[in-house]
Amino acid sequence: MSPSERRLQKELMSLMKEPPPGVTVDGDQASQNLTLWTIHMEGVPGTLYEGEKFELQFKFTNKYPFDSPEVTFIGNNIPVHPHVYSNGHICLSILTDDWSPALSVQSVCLSIVSMLSSCKEKKRPPDNSFYVKTCNKNPKKTKWWYHDDSV
Amino acid sequence: MAETSEAKPSPSAPGGDAGGEEEKRDERMLECNICLDTARDAVVSMCGHLFCWPCLHQWLETRPSRQVCPVCKAAISRDKVIPLYGRGNTKQEDPRNKVPPRPAGQRTEPENNSGFPGFSFGEGFHMSFGIGAFPFGVFTSTFNFGDPRPSAAPRGTAQYEEEQFLSKIFLWVAILFVLWLIFA
Repeated sequence: MSPSERRLQKELMSLMKEPPPGVTVDGDQASQNLTLWTIHMEGVPGTLYEGEKFELQFKFTNKYPFDSPEVTFIGNNIPVHPHVYSNGHICLSILTDDWSPALSVQSVCLSIVSMLSSCKEKKRPPDNSFYVKTCNKNPKKTKWWYHDDSV
Repeated sequence: MAETSEAKPSPSAPGGDAGGEEEKRDERMLECNICLDTARDAVVSMCGHLFCWPCLHQWLETRPSRQVCPVCKAAISRDKVIPLYGRGNTKQEDPRNKVPPRPAGQRTEPENNSGFPGFSFGEGFHMSFGIGAFPFGVFTSTFNFGDPRPSAAPRGTAQYEEEQFLSKIFLWVAILFVLWLIFA
C-alpha cells in the first residue's frame, strides 16, 4: 500500500467513525476506489442553506497529502454562493495555494460547511458565466485570485 | 470535550481495557502530522509540531520557496527542527543525516527548445553560441556549468544551497546576456 493510500485509508476510517455534523462519506465507494470519494453534505440549520443537500467529490493523486485534493460540488444541487461556480468549482484558498499536508478531508469539509454557513446572500460569483464557459475541467488548473475573506 | 469522554472507560468495556485506551491516546499524540502514522525518525519543529523526517522533508521539497509548518504555517526549515531520540534507540543517529526516500525526479524538458541548436539543457548546462558576422565573431564562447567539481559541498548543507543559488543567478545572467545580444 502506498503512503497516500495508507493515509487515505486512515482518513476514511476516522471520517466514517466521527464525521463532522451534516457530513457523511460514501464509505463503500471510497473503499473500492480510494482516490475518488463522494461526500454528502447538509445545509446547516439556521443558515441560508438549511434543508438543502449537496454532494461533494474529492479526487486524490498519488502525491496526496503533499498535493491538494481536487474538490468540486457535483450532482443536481450546486449551492448558490458567491464562491461556488455553477459547474461546481469552489474558490477556496486551502484547495490550492494554502493547502498543507496537515489538512484533511475532514478539515476541508469543515471549511466548506463554514464557507456556506457564513453566506449572507445567495448569489453566484460575478464572473460565473464567463468562467464556466472558459475554465478547465480541473479546478486546480484555474489561477484563482483570492480576494474576498468575508465569506 | 473529546478528552473527557476518552479518559473515561466506556461502559461496555471492562476496567482492564482502560489501559489500552490510554495507550491508544498516547500513540495518537505521537502521530506524524503528515502521514498520520506513529512518527518514525521523528523531528519536532520550533513551533512544537511533530513529523516523520521523511514526511517533512518531502513537504519542504514540495515548496522550497515557501517553507512553512504544515500545521501552523510558522517559518520552518531543515535547521529549525529538532530530532527526537527515544530510549529504545541505541544508535542515536540524526534522522536529518539519513537520506530520506526522495520522490522520483520529475523534470520536464523546457518547451522553448526551438531555434538554437547550440543550447542544450541536458545533464548539467552546456551552452555554446557563435555568431558568424564579423564584429561578433569574437564573442564565440563556451560556457560549461555541468562539470563535476571536486570541491562541491555535500548535498543538503547550507553551503550547497548557497552554491546552487549562486549557480542559478549566474545562469540567468548568462541567459539575459544572450537575449541582450540577440535583441539589442
